Amino acid sequence: MAAEVFRLGFSVSGSAAIVFVGIFLAFSTAYTASANGFERVSDATSAVDDEALERQNTVLSIANVSYDAGNDTLTVDVVNEGATDLSADATDLLVDNTYRDDYAVRRVGGDNSTDLWLPGERLHLEVNATSQPNRVKIVSGPGVAVTEVL
Amino acid sequence: MASVSASHLILFIASLVIAAGVAGTFTQGISRLSQGIDDQSLEVSEEVRTDIEVISDAGSPVYDNSSKTVTILVKNTGTSTLDNDTRFIEILVDGRYRTNVTSTVLDGERWRPNNVVRLEIGADLAPGDHRVKLIVNGDEEVFRFRT
Repeated sequence: MAAEVFRLGFSVSGSAAIVFVGIFLAFSTAYTASANGFERVSDATSAVDDEALERQNTVLSIANVSYDAGNDTLTVDVVNEGATDLSADATDLLVDNTYRDDYAVRRVGGDNSTDLWLPGERLHLEVNATSQPNRVKIVSGPGVAVTEVL
Repeated sequence: MASVSASHLILFIASLVIAAGVAGTFTQGISRLSQGIDDQSLEVSEEVRTDIEVISDAGSPVYDNSSKTVTILVKNTGTSTLDNDTRFIEILVDGRYRTNVTSTVLDGERWRPNNVVRLEIGADLAPGDHRVKLIVNGDEEVFRFRT
């Protein structure tokens, strides 16, 4: 009886089964890891592509920069002339290379509570400045910038 | 007959043990490799998502001669939050590595996308042309200015 159970064929097929199960488990781990990794990188690439498209579609134009010595106010008007919506919060103002976010007034097309700066709309900024600045730079969220010399 | 079946039993057990060893080693190797792929993909995706831009206006004075500091503003234009600690920002002024740097996030707590960091680099520069090179997460930016 025993001789029939432990034939050499059993050893071969038993060990082959174990090896196959091992290979199966290993490849399932490897597949999951590489698929996740690939997806992670392709997600990142597509996010960067979206960002690049947004940058390509961004055009800014300074409509007016004026300094009022009477009430120490610098007024900047910028028009979104591109095809993408921008964020007023993400827009930065540099006056003579100094970062300014202490706006006295920040309006987009007459609305001072909105963050959306849509194509065609005008962003109106007023900041306090004790002397006349020389240069003003506006940087939009995607990184597209415009400068103006007073 | 009994000796034949006994030797078959021994061979059977030995073959199972060897097969288990082979499968175990193989699985372990592959799982180590998978872990490596996982870590590497995380790193690569972070690198791809990182994009910074020097927004300082080179037309205005960048270098303060009295305090011997170069002040530059760097905007996160990528899609991931970066660390603004100076340990993670490599700064070279005229090819020399600088460690005397203070970094401040100007419009937030952390250096999220769209936020701006001010870097104040202590460097004694002679009048002339200079360049600053920044490396954050593999992304390089060069900013040129005149003192």
